[in-house]
Amino acid sequence: MKFLREFLSYTSSLPRLAIWAVGTFLFLGIFAPWLTPHDPNAQNLLQAHLGPSFAHWLGTDHVGRDTLSRLILSARTSVVGMTLVLVLALSVGVTIGTVAGYRRGWVEEGLMRIVDVGLAMPSLIVALAVIGIFGTGYWNMILALALAWWPGSARISRAVAVNVMNRPHIESLRVLGASPARIYFHHLLPATLGAVLVYATADAGAVALAIATLSFLGLGIQPPTPEWGQMLVDALPYLESSPRQVILPGLALTLAVIGFNLLGESIALNRVPTPLSRKILRQRRITAAAWKKA
Amino acid sequence: MTASRRTFLKGLAVAPALFGGLSSTISAYAQKAKAHGDLIVAIAKPAGNLDPHKYIGLWAVQDLMFEPLMRYGKNGQIEPALATEWAVEDNGKLLRVKLRQNVTFQDGTSWDAEAMMWNLDRWIGKPANNWMNSSRLYSGHRIVDPHTVELQFKEPVLGLLYEFSYVRPSRFLSPKSVDKDGNYQAPVGTGPWIQESASNSESTFKRFDGYWGDLPTFEHVELKVLPDSRSRMAALRAGEIDLAGGDYLAPIKATEAKALESAGIPVTVETGTTTIVLAYNPDRNEALKDVRVRKAINIGFDRAAIGQVLYQSLAEPAGSLFPANVPHAGKRFDVAKRDVEAAKALLEVAGWSGSGIREKDGKKLSLELVVSEEQMAGSRSLGEILQSQLGEIGIELTIRSVDHASRHSDIPARKYDMALFYTLGAPYEPFGTLVGLFLSTFNNGVDGKLFLDPANLDPLVLAATSASEADVAGATQAIYDWLYNEVAISPLFYAPIIWAHAPRVQGFTPPSTEYDLPYKNITLGA
Repeated sequence: MKFLREFLSYTSSLPRLAIWAVGTFLFLGIFAPWLTPHDPNAQNLLQAHLGPSFAHWLGTDHVGRDTLSRLILSARTSVVGMTLVLVLALSVGVTIGTVAGYRRGWVEEGLMRIVDVGLAMPSLIVALAVIGIFGTGYWNMILALALAWWPGSARISRAVAVNVMNRPHIESLRVLGASPARIYFHHLLPATLGAVLVYATADAGAVALAIATLSFLGLGIQPPTPEWGQMLVDALPYLESSPRQVILPGLALTLAVIGFNLLGESIALNRVPTPLSRKILRQRRITAAAWKKA
Repeated sequence: MTASRRTFLKGLAVAPALFGGLSSTISAYAQKAKAHGDLIVAIAKPAGNLDPHKYIGLWAVQDLMFEPLMRYGKNGQIEPALATEWAVEDNGKLLRVKLRQNVTFQDGTSWDAEAMMWNLDRWIGKPANNWMNSSRLYSGHRIVDPHTVELQFKEPVLGLLYEFSYVRPSRFLSPKSVDKDGNYQAPVGTGPWIQESASNSESTFKRFDGYWGDLPTFEHVELKVLPDSRSRMAALRAGEIDLAGGDYLAPIKATEAKALESAGIPVTVETGTTTIVLAYNPDRNEALKDVRVRKAINIGFDRAAIGQVLYQSLAEPAGSLFPANVPHAGKRFDVAKRDVEAAKALLEVAGWSGSGIREKDGKKLSLELVVSEEQMAGSRSLGEILQSQLGEIGIELTIRSVDHASRHSDIPARKYDMALFYTLGAPYEPFGTLVGLFLSTFNNGVDGKLFLDPANLDPLVLAATSASEADVAGATQAIYDWLYNEVAISPLFYAPIIWAHAPRVQGFTPPSTEYDLPYKNITLGA
């Protein structure tokens, strides 16, 4: 209970829009199959391009599938894909980063130069290249994005690991004769993970966007799995006759990405002193002026 | 010089006048262009190298300058062009053509037997052009008089006259438009349009007033490169272009055609000469070896409903390999109707049973459909409908959407269970498709094969290609019957050819092949 209260009080300090957007996104993602009013893949060609109605709250798409159900299930596709990519990317990135931070010296130099190479290439280009080689498909897409995403987390975890390793308690552990495995697994890894998870929150939106981008290009999620990027590209030919079909998935994607970005940013900024607002600044000036007079 | 407040204010006062002047000059220029009568046509990509003996540039642009001996008219009628008369003799082994007199190339060179043979020598009989019967079987020529030529062939050449109507390599370049090594320099032909300029954003042409035939009523043609179909639609509605459409030139999708129509833009829709075909690859998937499975798939989906939804009823559901306007298209087969129960029964008899996805010997009835949006717009949606409808009869269809390059490698390598194809279309039909897409021994590069059966199908195709003109109908019908009975392919739709033009364009008629630019008979209104 105490944990929950602490968590809630922490979230209340974050921007409300971000909390709502990310919260809804995760909720839909987790409970999607129980929330969809219709079978998201059930086609009815005679009911294509229907506008919103009681049966279909957000209308139907170009082959007569319920748009609301597809939007909801798309959230799940994104949440699962995003989680898989981040877990894969983080496990590789954190391992490499902490090993580099722990060992230092030429190991660090070597590993970090590899990371530099990874960082030098735009992640989407790396992902496209991997898909070009291995072909399209769900797991290839996850793999491609993970390969594109690990260098960032490796760089951050190395920085954190170097910081942790320089702290006095690690030195004491060494003097006391703690084994390298103990230092690494009990002290270094947990301390690093926390910082990297914050980074991951900020990055989740970018991953969701990358999944949508690849699907938009036809290289990511394959039909019939609903996915926002795919819904967008399928609806493009009908942009004029039924713009709703383009706007809705676009809006859903935008909200999710903005939510994650705001959240990540505010978590990071929560640790930095906030600049004073104009109103407070004005008050302070008035106070200071009063001092002068006195 | 320091800018004082006064000079600045003066400048401000002058600026609007300058702007006004400039914009009035621009609009005057635009008015002039329109008044003089420029036909502005959208093209999806730059015209490229227009050498008629190479396979690089855009066909329809080459058609503006280069003319054939005979033209492919509506429904495959052969019409005279640079040849006025022709005769096929010696059982089809000799072609005698009488050349049109008083014709000159755009550079003043006269069109005669010598110019014709100079062109033919650049391509005929060379291995690279073996896909053309006339080139493969060419044996020699004789210039009878300056306007009569005889071409000799080793064997009777099927589709001979059609081959001489192709855009490339059969059309004629001025012998003077090459350098001293014989390398192509400029696109100079006998046609009514002279190229003025060409760049990656546009090509412009002016009328050739010495043209032998009917002179176009307007003086310029401007081809604007607009790669994105949405920007073409916007340009058409804004009056910035006069004409767009065709399968290759500046394609218009069925949904876009409907939007244009409702915006008051005249749209012409015709059944074209290409067919959208669903191909099976039994070599990769054992299940497809069984004709009953193919038959079940063929009646497992609803062509009419798909046509209504995806093609806005503009595409006619297909029963035969070719639409009726193709020469030797054969007997019309009925369009397969969706029959879920019959399809299920067929699969049951074939040993595929179970609820949900059917199984046989512990193997699921699962097929992979390869689609490429770049090759065929809307093919992924088509795939999704097939996936859903075939799912109802117990077939699991997975869709693999690939980019253009992957399709070019996967389709010839036959890495698919099912795939969507276009037939080649006029003027290459029927033999372009029959030989190119069905004969196992013929290498057709990236196009791939619709169906392969060296033991049964190849002899039929070979028999048709070596049949005499009198037997061709029967020989091609034998192929169509075999394909139909074996359900070797599933014809889906006859692709509609959609053109749209600005209201000021009058007298527009769609071209008879996808390789011509339809400028003829057009007059430009105000």
